[in-house]
Amino acid sequence: MWVTPRYPAAAAAAAAILLTVTACGGSSPSTSPTGGPAGSSSATGDAAGHTGGTLHLVAQSAGGTLDPQVNYTLQYWQLYQATYDQLITYARVGGSQSVDLVPDLATAMPKVSDGGKTYAFTLRQGIRFSNGKPVTTADVVASFRRIFKVASPNAGSWYNVLVGADACLKTPATCTLDGGVVADAKTGRITFHLTQADPQFEAQLAMPFASILPASAPSKDAGTTPIPTTGPYYFSSYSPNSALTMKRNPYFKQWSAQAEPAGYPDEIEETFGLTAESEVTAVENNQADWMYDAPPSDRLVEISSKYSDRAHVNPLTAMWYLTLNSNIPPFNNVKARQAINWAVDRAAVVRLYGGTSLAQPACTILPPGFPGHRDFCNYTAGGGTTWTAPDLDKAKALVQASGTAGQQVGVVVQNDSVNKSIGSYLTSLLNQLGYKATLKPLSNNIQFTYIQNTDNHVQLALTQWYQDYPAAADFLQVLLSCASFHPHSDSSINIAGYCNHSLDAKMDAANTLGVTSPSAANTQWGTIDEDYMKESPLVPLITPKLVDFTSSRVGHYQFSLQYYMLVDQLWVQ
Amino acid sequence: MGFALKRLASAVLVMFAISVMVFLIFFATPGVDPAARIAGRGASPEVLAQVRQTFGLDRPLPARYALMMDHLFIKRDLTSYVNIGDRVVPQLSHAAPVTLSLVLGAAVIWLVIGVGGGVLAAMYRGTLVDPLMTLAGIAAVSVPAYWLGAMVNLLTQDKLHTGLFSWVPPLGYVSITHPGSWALHLLFPWLTLALLYGGIYARVLRAELISALSEDYVRTCRAKGLSERRILWRHALRCSLSSVVSLFGLDFGSLVGGAALLTEVVFGLPGIGKLTWDSLQNLDLPVIMGCVLYAAFFVVAANAVVDVLYSILDPRVRHA
Amino acid sequence: MSDLHTPFESGQGLVGATTQDGAERSPGPWRVALSQLLHNPVAIASTVMLVVVVGACLCAPLYAHHIAHTDPFSSNVTGTTVVNGKRAAILQQSTQGLGLGVVPIGPTWHLSGFFLGADGQGRDVMSRLLYGGRTTLLIGTASAVICCVLGALVGIVAGYLGGATDWILSRVLDVIWAFPVYLLAICLSVVLLTSGLDLGPLHVSAGSLMLPIVIIALIYVPYVARPLRGHVLSLKESEFVKASVGLGASELRVLRRELLPNVLPSVIVFLPLMIALNMLTESALSFLSIGVQAPQASWGTIINDGLDLLYTRPWVATAPGIMLVITAVAFNLLGDAVRDALDPKAKLRGSI
Repeated sequence: MWVTPRYPAAAAAAAAILLTVTACGGSSPSTSPTGGPAGSSSATGDAAGHTGGTLHLVAQSAGGTLDPQVNYTLQYWQLYQATYDQLITYARVGGSQSVDLVPDLATAMPKVSDGGKTYAFTLRQGIRFSNGKPVTTADVVASFRRIFKVASPNAGSWYNVLVGADACLKTPATCTLDGGVVADAKTGRITFHLTQADPQFEAQLAMPFASILPASAPSKDAGTTPIPTTGPYYFSSYSPNSALTMKRNPYFKQWSAQAEPAGYPDEIEETFGLTAESEVTAVENNQADWMYDAPPSDRLVEISSKYSDRAHVNPLTAMWYLTLNSNIPPFNNVKARQAINWAVDRAAVVRLYGGTSLAQPACTILPPGFPGHRDFCNYTAGGGTTWTAPDLDKAKALVQASGTAGQQVGVVVQNDSVNKSIGSYLTSLLNQLGYKATLKPLSNNIQFTYIQNTDNHVQLALTQWYQDYPAAADFLQVLLSCASFHPHSDSSINIAGYCNHSLDAKMDAANTLGVTSPSAANTQWGTIDEDYMKESPLVPLITPKLVDFTSSRVGHYQFSLQYYMLVDQLWVQ
Repeated sequence: MGFALKRLASAVLVMFAISVMVFLIFFATPGVDPAARIAGRGASPEVLAQVRQTFGLDRPLPARYALMMDHLFIKRDLTSYVNIGDRVVPQLSHAAPVTLSLVLGAAVIWLVIGVGGGVLAAMYRGTLVDPLMTLAGIAAVSVPAYWLGAMVNLLTQDKLHTGLFSWVPPLGYVSITHPGSWALHLLFPWLTLALLYGGIYARVLRAELISALSEDYVRTCRAKGLSERRILWRHALRCSLSSVVSLFGLDFGSLVGGAALLTEVVFGLPGIGKLTWDSLQNLDLPVIMGCVLYAAFFVVAANAVVDVLYSILDPRVRHA
Repeated sequence: MSDLHTPFESGQGLVGATTQDGAERSPGPWRVALSQLLHNPVAIASTVMLVVVVGACLCAPLYAHHIAHTDPFSSNVTGTTVVNGKRAAILQQSTQGLGLGVVPIGPTWHLSGFFLGADGQGRDVMSRLLYGGRTTLLIGTASAVICCVLGALVGIVAGYLGGATDWILSRVLDVIWAFPVYLLAICLSVVLLTSGLDLGPLHVSAGSLMLPIVIIALIYVPYVARPLRGHVLSLKESEFVKASVGLGASELRVLRRELLPNVLPSVIVFLPLMIALNMLTESALSFLSIGVQAPQASWGTIINDGLDLLYTRPWVATAPGIMLVITAVAFNLLGDAVRDALDPKAKLRGSI
């Protein structure tokens, strides 16, 4: 995974599993840091003696702008965990508790009133930015205005629920969010007013886009210029063609081990420019401590045999899937769409991805372990609730019945080796089914926008979806609602262009239900998942796992389900 | 003087044409519209419109071209579309020393190989050495550099890394401030690049030497009783070198401009070629534009310098 | 490159070759050249080499269907094969340690199947190597022919007509020339692979072999056109052309009877060298995955596929590289021999 793409959610959805944890509640994991005691930013005297040293990370290329309100890559979201803070956050701990929301810069989880339309926080006192200035309510208000001023990717899809957001979207320069974000400097109270109840609002407040930045931050994308941070580190330099460095924030005092634990290394450096092959070699030889990119497939065997103690494999709540354009031939025919779902050999895709230890076949849109997921498999030979084998005969019969045999089909994939090899397999399969398929690999950077635009007449595309936060709507409603389909736009995340108003209504109902009864709503989401699969606008292929490969000196590996490996929690000595 | 001015004007014209070409090629490609990529995944239409306006992408093509050139040459603050805020000019100036290191080192090696091979072949004409050198030269020209690089990496980084090549550092570039490490990191890239050019130069020089050796003045020398070795080194080589030198000027220009792209990509050297390739993969138009113009500048400049020098040496060219 | 390095400054093309021969009655330049070639062991050897390579590649379907019994263009990800009497998966799931990764079957060194092993799609590498050779040779030859024809046309027209035509054509050549070869090819490929090519009624789809052929032919046009233009310019000043014009020959006649026969040998000399150069260019573009597109195979794409397997199955990338080198060497040797026979002064710089 060069850059793990993460995508926005639609506006309203169920807060299904957004478990709220009270301030300072919950137990720290057994491995939680003992370092970073209050009052000392460079805690050299910690019991375990693991504080200090420089952590060397490597990545093929930089992740773009460093502005936390604009950047939308896993690469930097991972680093923002040790640098920027929001009012509330997903607990920065390893294991299952990492899906819990905890108060961060706020003293406690918000008081929700007015039928879910008002959220009230109190700002912690005594926290300082890495430039020494205290964090004030004015900074909070300015940060939320800044979301609109810098055209944050989800300004119009997540934060448009705030009162006054409409005006901000229209004329960002004069954005005030009057009545939307109200602050009282004396009491430190901050109140958000929404135009309608939004069960996902808390999750969205915990995303890096809602980071609290100094009010003096520029009101345009800061690009390569780092903005002062509140967390244990600050970005000391950034040059996208060479390196990104993080140093200890001298003003940081740990206020919550769950929300923002102090980190171990004194300095973190990510260098760019190596190929994935050389990254593996560098980590093997301990010249680097961790590689951001996925190890290339021909190095996996070596890693898993010679360096098994240094590789960490974790399942992701994500999906690799095909989109079938339901508006143009041949896949405007439901039988043709179903044929593809019957025909694709998920076991083959698993192999091309790196084998059974790295991925598992997928049958559902909601990944296993995700809120709302239910085990079912509409398209497997021999029936059953999990995928066992493809049924080519059935697929061929459906293609014949649909009358689409012999048509041209273009398969649009990204041009890295894994995507391309899956694309080659699909092309071969489509030819076997009786289509005339051609493979069209496009640069990783443009494929995703290219396949969304209806003007490009993409029939079949391979793409991926990684959760923003754990909620069924973040998959189903984002990927398949009519609202996500914008013809002639590069930004139309319902790539299949599949619009089903009755299922749309069902999703709205599930959302409404989610406000009061999350578990009942999740049962509904499971049914909706199956309803969509019957119509077959998408072909879920695999649920991927992630391999983290670390040097031999690295210890204390922690994996958060939300932000993956906790970089600053690694020990380098 | 007039000739030099005319040459300069045509160089500027060529550069202008290239910039327009690159601009049109990339803005005409579907899926390339940078607005959606700058805005981020799944931005709403309002956000998209705002990004378009900030980056001037809603303006007509000629205005956009002018804007880009203004930022590149006059304000010198043109920034990447992918790494927002990352300026193009410093990127080029950071990459330039890497490419220069690669090309300079390789040039030294290939001149030694080329001149040595060419002279040897000419000296031992009629013996087995000549056809062997010729074959070696042809083989060197026929090996794709990227493949050779991959094979070299396979041996030095993996297969023989625990034995014979354990001293080989990982791929990448180390600044010349650590000269030992710098040379060690660049050794195999130098050799790989030098092999190809060494082959070409040896062939060119051999042909030049052989034709020089049949010239009248060489016969005069022989008649005077000069030794063959002296004739070859002092007279024939001197005349033949001029064509090698001008060839070298042109090759050096294009390589410094980024023509060693494949070598840089294969060995992970963050030079101009790698920057160009990365920007092309990302369709990062401002960086592509910067790289292409940078490369074209060196090609055009090398051409012009060689032409002007030649016109000084040989006045007839001016009237050609 | 400046005109400095153009091979034909002296205007001595074919004439030199024939007068050197010095026979009492000239048997015609072409026959002389041919007999010279037939007596040149290097020319014979390289021709034999090429015949073997081309023959093997032409037999690709025969090998794939009747000897190896495999379809080199369809994926065989979950298939099995029989090696040493035992059934084995073609793509083998790693079982060591954490069990990460999948490795294709290695070389069996049996012609009956997977002689060189399988690639990442479970396809027989040997069959793909032979099919790939067809593509590479086709692209190399076709683009070289197009390039030489186009280059000759531009060179002759510019050189003969002179004036504004010459100025415009020369500037166009300048631009292509100053546009670094790879950059131009890469730019065009990146864009055309995304959109395909539309030339009026002619539509070339993005996966078509025509794209790399046209792109490669275009970028090398100046290599041919510039020296030929110089050649034509000097021919125009030569006595026999002036004489012909003086005798009232029509332009077309001068062009056909006086210029073309003198230019043609140079073009012929360029051809084999150009093929070698273009094959290497094709492979470089395919290596950057912007040349030949799947499921088509060329030596460059097989190398590109093989680089993903370099550390586990190095033969996938090594074998096509070796074939490429052998073929390019043969073409270059043949080219040198043809040049020696036809036009010793012609020079074409090939640099990859």
